[in-house]
Amino acid sequence: MTEIALRAQNIIPSVHVCKKGKIKTKENHQDLDLYIFLMAMVLVSVLSFLPLNINWFKLVSRMPDIGIMFGKLSQLSLHNFDYTLIAFVETVAITILATIYSIFFGIIFGALVSKNFIKNRLVTTLLSSFFTFLRAVPTPVWVLLALVCLGLGPIAGIVGLSVHATAFFARAFSQSFEDVPPEVIEALEVTGANKLQIFFSAILPAAMSMIIAWIGMRFEINFQESAILGMVGAGGIGFAITTSLQGYHYGVAGLAILLVFVYAYCIELLFTTIKKKFIQ
Amino acid sequence: MAKIPLIHTREKKIYTIFTVVVIILFAIATVLTKFNPLQVIVSSGEIWNFITTDFLPPTLTKPVNIFNAILTTVCLAISSTFIAGIMAIITAMFGSESISPWPKYAKIIRAVATFLRNIPPLVWAFILFSSLGIGTGVGFIALVISTFAFMTRAFIESIDEISQESTESLLVVGATFPQRIFQAVIPSCIQDFISWFLYCIELNIRASTVVGMVGGGGIGLVLFSYLKTFRYQTAAGIILIIAATIILVDLLTGYLRTRIMQND
Repeated sequence: MTEIALRAQNIIPSVHVCKKGKIKTKENHQDLDLYIFLMAMVLVSVLSFLPLNINWFKLVSRMPDIGIMFGKLSQLSLHNFDYTLIAFVETVAITILATIYSIFFGIIFGALVSKNFIKNRLVTTLLSSFFTFLRAVPTPVWVLLALVCLGLGPIAGIVGLSVHATAFFARAFSQSFEDVPPEVIEALEVTGANKLQIFFSAILPAAMSMIIAWIGMRFEINFQESAILGMVGAGGIGFAITTSLQGYHYGVAGLAILLVFVYAYCIELLFTTIKKKFIQ
Repeated sequence: MAKIPLIHTREKKIYTIFTVVVIILFAIATVLTKFNPLQVIVSSGEIWNFITTDFLPPTLTKPVNIFNAILTTVCLAISSTFIAGIMAIITAMFGSESISPWPKYAKIIRAVATFLRNIPPLVWAFILFSSLGIGTGVGFIALVISTFAFMTRAFIESIDEISQESTESLLVVGATFPQRIFQAVIPSCIQDFISWFLYCIELNIRASTVVGMVGGGGIGLVLFSYLKTFRYQTAAGIILIIAATIILVDLLTGYLRTRIMQND
């Protein structure tokens, strides 16, 4: 036996036989980075509680109130249901319009930002940093500004949502456009096609499946955003929820929230099936 | 005459149906909301006027207050993501059918997470504000609820995708539930978890600004009060600061994510 073991050690000298007979499974050197990162994360997170000035004791002691609230909300009432329904339809309409307009502008600006289509580096950098700024400001802020400029009503909602969604699409689409292999574009350039022809016959069709995936993702977000627009002053279901909560009509608010949930869930299901079917 | 069809017939049919549906929806929505894009173009002069005279140049009054408010918003986002992340990891262990000790009940956890997730954080904030009153603490809970639901869903998916083979082999050799978690799930999924955590911080910085607007405190509330009192120049300054903060956080999380993924 010992002879075999010695021979084995000669053949594979690097084999390190542990005394306890355990196989080493950890790479300490690799894990170190991760540990440092995790520790730093925990530290930052714990420190971030300090400046919050939250009265935790009071907060925890009032937790049961949330349960009571849900009890009240679950007593759905059909009072003023036509009003809720109109507000809901308005929200859906705002979502659809904002998505369509932002797809339209997103494709145009996405093309202008993508580096393989526009060769001028200055233009792409300037435009993309402008869109980064537009994206960094939360949607409700844009809606509030649109409210100031355009007055109350769904128009402010559509414009405000479109600003943010266009910036999102411009970035997302330009990434998909840049993923189009350069051979495809070169092949068309060689045949003497102009920029528009290259875009519509090569870049856009090649990026189509990605574009549809992005649209599906953004449509969900747009609905959530337009559902909350009413809470900062624009119309729609958010306004219905806020007014009925503030007027203590909890049943009405409960039904409106349920409507939001059911719709969001249906959209999620729809787009997961679309993704499974068409985008492999 | 004879053209070579560039697109497959089936695919072409789908695209045609898709286009028709989109056009119909567009028409209905336009009629319902009475949205006329020309109106925006017509009033673009007014918008430009508003931006140049009321909005610019951005100024900052009381910079210390604004700095404190930004700090509150960022801290609110990080702390709520942290708490929600810890809760979500524990819940996801029970919600994933492949490793949960009670796979029958895994579906219930998934359903609850789906329900919580599909209601926007601001709606949560409003529900909580009307039961607990306004304040940073209530904004914190609202963010925790929505982030918790989102992360639970994401973690369950990561667990199911990544660690299926290793958990199965551990199950075969008779490992217990805690052993399976600490030897298979956590080592193989930790990078995904961290990546989702960073993504949620990005989301929550935005969400905590918005929740702040309706009563959660922080920079959102400050911005909202300036907008409501028509002090647009200060509001413009605050908007720039919010944008700068969010871009900075995005850059930082993006850098950390590539570092963590490189370790693979």
